[in-house]
Amino acid sequence: MIHHHDVIIIGGGLTGLRAALQIKDAGLDGAVISKVHPLRSHSVAAQGGMNASLGNVEGEGGVKDSWKNHAYDTVKGSDYLADQDAVELMCREAPRTVIELEHMGTVWSRLENGKIAQRPFGGAGFPRTCYAADRTGHNALHTLYENMVGREIPVYEEFYLTSLVIDEGRCVGCTALDIMTGEVHGFQARAVLLATGGFGRIYDRSTNALINTGEGASLALEAGAQLKDMEFVQFHPTTLYGTNILITEGARGEGGILLNKDGKRFMEGYAPRTRDLAARDVISRAMGQEIAEGRAYPGGYLYLDLRHLGPDKIRERLPGIRQIAMDFAGVDPIEEKIPVQPGQHYSMGGVDVGMGGATSIPGLYAAGECACISVHGANRLGGNSLLETVVFGRLVADKIIEDVSSINFTEEGPIKTAMINMDIKIGDILGREEGENLFQIREAMTRTMSQGFGILREKQEMQESLQEIKKLQKQLPRVSLQNSKRELNQALVRFLELEGMLLLSEAVARSAIAREESRGSHFRTDYPERDDVKFLKHTLIDLKDDEMRVSYKPVKLGMFELEERVY
Amino acid sequence: MIKVNPKIKVYRFNHEMEFPHYDTFEVEPHPGMTVLGALFQIQEKYDDSLAFRYSCRGAVCGTCAMLINKVPRLACRSQVEDLLKDKVPETVTDEDISRADEDISWNPEEEVLVEPLPHLPVIRDLVVDMDLFFQYYRLVEPTFRPAGPDPEKERLMDPGAVKELGVYANCILCGACHAACPVVGENPEYLGPAALAKLYRFYIDPREEEGDSRLEKGDILNGWWACESYGDCYRVCPRNVPPIVAIRQAINQLNKRK
Repeated sequence: MIHHHDVIIIGGGLTGLRAALQIKDAGLDGAVISKVHPLRSHSVAAQGGMNASLGNVEGEGGVKDSWKNHAYDTVKGSDYLADQDAVELMCREAPRTVIELEHMGTVWSRLENGKIAQRPFGGAGFPRTCYAADRTGHNALHTLYENMVGREIPVYEEFYLTSLVIDEGRCVGCTALDIMTGEVHGFQARAVLLATGGFGRIYDRSTNALINTGEGASLALEAGAQLKDMEFVQFHPTTLYGTNILITEGARGEGGILLNKDGKRFMEGYAPRTRDLAARDVISRAMGQEIAEGRAYPGGYLYLDLRHLGPDKIRERLPGIRQIAMDFAGVDPIEEKIPVQPGQHYSMGGVDVGMGGATSIPGLYAAGECACISVHGANRLGGNSLLETVVFGRLVADKIIEDVSSINFTEEGPIKTAMINMDIKIGDILGREEGENLFQIREAMTRTMSQGFGILREKQEMQESLQEIKKLQKQLPRVSLQNSKRELNQALVRFLELEGMLLLSEAVARSAIAREESRGSHFRTDYPERDDVKFLKHTLIDLKDDEMRVSYKPVKLGMFELEERVY
Repeated sequence: MIKVNPKIKVYRFNHEMEFPHYDTFEVEPHPGMTVLGALFQIQEKYDDSLAFRYSCRGAVCGTCAMLINKVPRLACRSQVEDLLKDKVPETVTDEDISRADEDISWNPEEEVLVEPLPHLPVIRDLVVDMDLFFQYYRLVEPTFRPAGPDPEKERLMDPGAVKELGVYANCILCGACHAACPVVGENPEYLGPAALAKLYRFYIDPREEEGDSRLEKGDILNGWWACESYGDCYRVCPRNVPPIVAIRQAINQLNKRK
């Protein structure tokens, strides 16, 4: 079956839904394709908040926040790899974006004077993070979905993206697997927007939802688009020991502190000024060092202590964190310390796009975590990802609305061909009688990525890990599934996810090996210094004839001078 | 620690079968293992055709609600060890909640019984068709309707009002309450606790225009009035949302005005 829409949006998280609303309001016919019900998207799990220089809370000495301060913190946090024009745009748009969500119905936490509440976050010079207790993503996503329902925007729920269709150099649609029936559908569109989120599940310890497998980015690469800055993977300092569920930075924003085995507040030694509220990469690295040097508990965890905040503050500002700690670690933060360790959290890299979200393929756009417009550079600040999703969900939709006015639907032929090809491929996967085990390969991949491309990286180990990833890729054609049925075959979906993840793993590996310096989240023990002369540039990956190639492009500077990054 | 390996007794069904049946799998336990973790182990080690929904695995997305030891709960938040320890499982009013035509027995000392959510059609194994549930959600028109034109900045809100609103805005639409509600079981046309709690969330939003339109939306036979105050909705809610309180408050308001 072939469906026709002006714009196909792939992904039902904050970016996808915000874009869908904008496209509908412009009078165009947009539809969302999502592998899960939109409310199950990973955006729903975002806890701490959304940065905007509303200035509702004054900084130290009564100073008022501004978008320029926000931009400075963001650029510094990025270790100067962010494109400063994109950062400026995001920070200027931030206040109106938070207010826009309020106008749509989001329930933000409030100050006594009734204005939206703001709290301090890591790497920020002002209390700038607007929040809805510790359920900011939940509140924002439900609001956008409620507005989708009000506008009756179509959603293809539980459809898994299987390919992007390129005809004469232009993206004219996609194919997707209807997971429930096992049927391949074709989607013809005048523009396609990828809003598929991050790829954290290539790692074994990740805060990400299990669905964050990055197929938007891998299929874009296969279709001929480029990936950018893939080596920059954020490790969040505080993930719950055992399950790696996120414990928001807001917990430290409210005054929580990190302690090692000796009960010492170790961040004082690494970031004397900002201590537990230094940028995430700085804290994760410090924790990595504490663990490596034997000052952590067996199994590799440290403690986050909230007890001094008192029961009232914990209950009011961090109720979700308390619930998580009780449910998943059997610990009540009012009475006990929370066991934490760093874990993969965010993909700074993604599909290379320009300021309007356009990829190098006409008709194909990307926004949110799956894209790299580069507002986060080498390290993202807490509270900037929710902001990015909603700001660029809207702005990229605006660009699409402008661009498609001159684009007409073409013939269905290429879509039909892509559907047939995908159908043959799926038939082949399901038809294999005996072979390798899918889940063992996936486990080997996540282990290898954590081992070779974690917080601390080194040439030899990275190269060995890359070889392992290449070996795993070669095993894929021999994988066989027990379940050969088409309907609701989750093993099939997980096979397709794994194919894409192994491609992204290689992209991360090649980018990381080539970058012989340390910057933001990318820390090389063999090159521990930042090298602005050689590496103040974005890494690009493209795929031609099954070979990945690394190249570079300049960073857009302008507003802020390069500085050493001290917290 | 668990001494013998726990067993998971799982409901199995697909459209090629005339009747559902149960499969029992022995799983290798580890500290903190959840029912969702056990289901993944089964899928990955023994039978990759086992179907169940999942996403966040952290009890925030509402995807993996199922009937576990006869109580609707999130699989990702339910620890296998706790379920075995609870020799007598906690019960809800409708003690006969079951997917099988006949009584299914299980040994709660070493088995955990996992079934799809009741009151919704089964598609395959533990996956149910949520269409009707979301149809009722849409029916209450869950879209914010502000009192006046948007101001330049945010509308001001009293922190106390935000607190009350937050109680209902916390709903993750997992469907556990819908599955637990005995009234839904008897009357499939009842909007159900989740949809009504959502409607109430908009009714009490101080930013909406004053008036009774939200209240009246539920003022139908299968709306507020159908609730029989069992309270199972609140008892099973993983987010402590109390639909029963919302419904009682709405009825009080309606009674006052009549």
